[in-house]
Amino acid sequence: MDRVISKSSLSGETMDELVMNQTVVNFEALSALADGELGAPETATVVQATAQDASLRAAWQHYHLIGDVLRSSVRDTRAALPAVALASLSAQSVGLSAGLSVAMAQPEAANDSVWRWKLVAGFAAVAAVGSIVWSLAGSGLTGIGAGPVVARSTQPNAAVVSADISTGQPTEQVMIRDPRLDELLAAHKQFGGASALQPAGFLRNATFQTPQR
Amino acid sequence: MAIETASLGDAAGGELGTGSAPAAADAFVPVQDADSALVALARGGDKRAFDMLVIKYQRRIERLLGRMVRDTDSIQDITQEAFIRAWRAIGNFRGDAQFYTWLYRIAVNSAKKHLMDLKRNPVINESSLRSVHDEDDETSYADHPLNNQRATSETPETAYAAKEIAQAVNAAMDALPEELRQAITLREIEGLSYEEISTMMDCPIGTVRSRIFRAREAISARIKPMLDKQTAKRW
Repeated sequence: MDRVISKSSLSGETMDELVMNQTVVNFEALSALADGELGAPETATVVQATAQDASLRAAWQHYHLIGDVLRSSVRDTRAALPAVALASLSAQSVGLSAGLSVAMAQPEAANDSVWRWKLVAGFAAVAAVGSIVWSLAGSGLTGIGAGPVVARSTQPNAAVVSADISTGQPTEQVMIRDPRLDELLAAHKQFGGASALQPAGFLRNATFQTPQR
Repeated sequence: MAIETASLGDAAGGELGTGSAPAAADAFVPVQDADSALVALARGGDKRAFDMLVIKYQRRIERLLGRMVRDTDSIQDITQEAFIRAWRAIGNFRGDAQFYTWLYRIAVNSAKKHLMDLKRNPVINESSLRSVHDEDDETSYADHPLNNQRATSETPETAYAAKEIAQAVNAAMDALPEELRQAITLREIEGLSYEEISTMMDCPIGTVRSRIFRAREAISARIKPMLDKQTAKRW
């Protein structure tokens, strides 16, 4: 040990170097002891040195404190992260986890714990929009390509020019209605007044596109 | 401090003895434990080795007890009592669990005994009886060095100091050369052995040991002024 080296046997400079080297060795051995990586003979030596040296005792305390802080930093960071982010983090390199311990020092937002509800709200919004689009598509209002055409009758027994709702432009589509059916409906006035002549869901009709002029 | 050895029968899973000095057990087969070398010396009667274990675990035990007992003076008394019990019983520590696990049980049972004594006492602080039975998880929140807010001794000053030290440690980590940072990260955060680290970093074990030591020294140099300034014992 540094403290048992006789000064009389060494010059001052050599003595200082030896003491310094031995001190470093002791501290390094202490660090290894903190990790449980020191053999039994060395352990006994370091324990003896630590009992005699306050700086070694302080270092012993500091080494464990540093370990506690580093571990708690990572634990805090992981606790504050969503599971998805945590899963990706676990695949990262070790260097990243060191960086995380710095990131955790940032103050935690008060609403961090409600992130799941935000996720649920997002899904609900997407689902609502999706269902609206689906229902519109189902009712034929999307008007893309050769969509259904709504016909409007101006005269009984006559061809009717309808408008394409999706474009708002008049088209050359003509709906042919069976005149006998119109007569029949007019005679029975099933729907009352002029409404009996309007297209209804149960009416059979057909559309066709006139050739371009 | 008077220790009632008769009441210690179940304090550490039946491992506590009644002797006043540690005695070496016949078959000591330690589990993989960083403390095993020190524990072996302590079991042989080396009080200096046990003192190092006390230094290592004192803060942790105080934080644990701080969640169970609200009175600061009581926390320190119970901590001291727990370590005395552990010293007296360490000869019976078989090493089939980690030393801290064994010490934890002693500390918890010491705290429960203290609270039961308080319960029998008509002059009692009701708040100190809360949550006694919720503390059996040794991986609990109490192990966090910064999470002792529930203890009565926690003050804004000590909380601030703790945060300051944590930030200094993290800043010091950032300032480390890559090989030192990687070595201490693998050891302290990932919990790898020197041999595993040497394999991962492709360098001799002696180099690993040296790098970890240098990293600790660099961080320690950064926080030492704060710790010297810090007067509160429990931060």
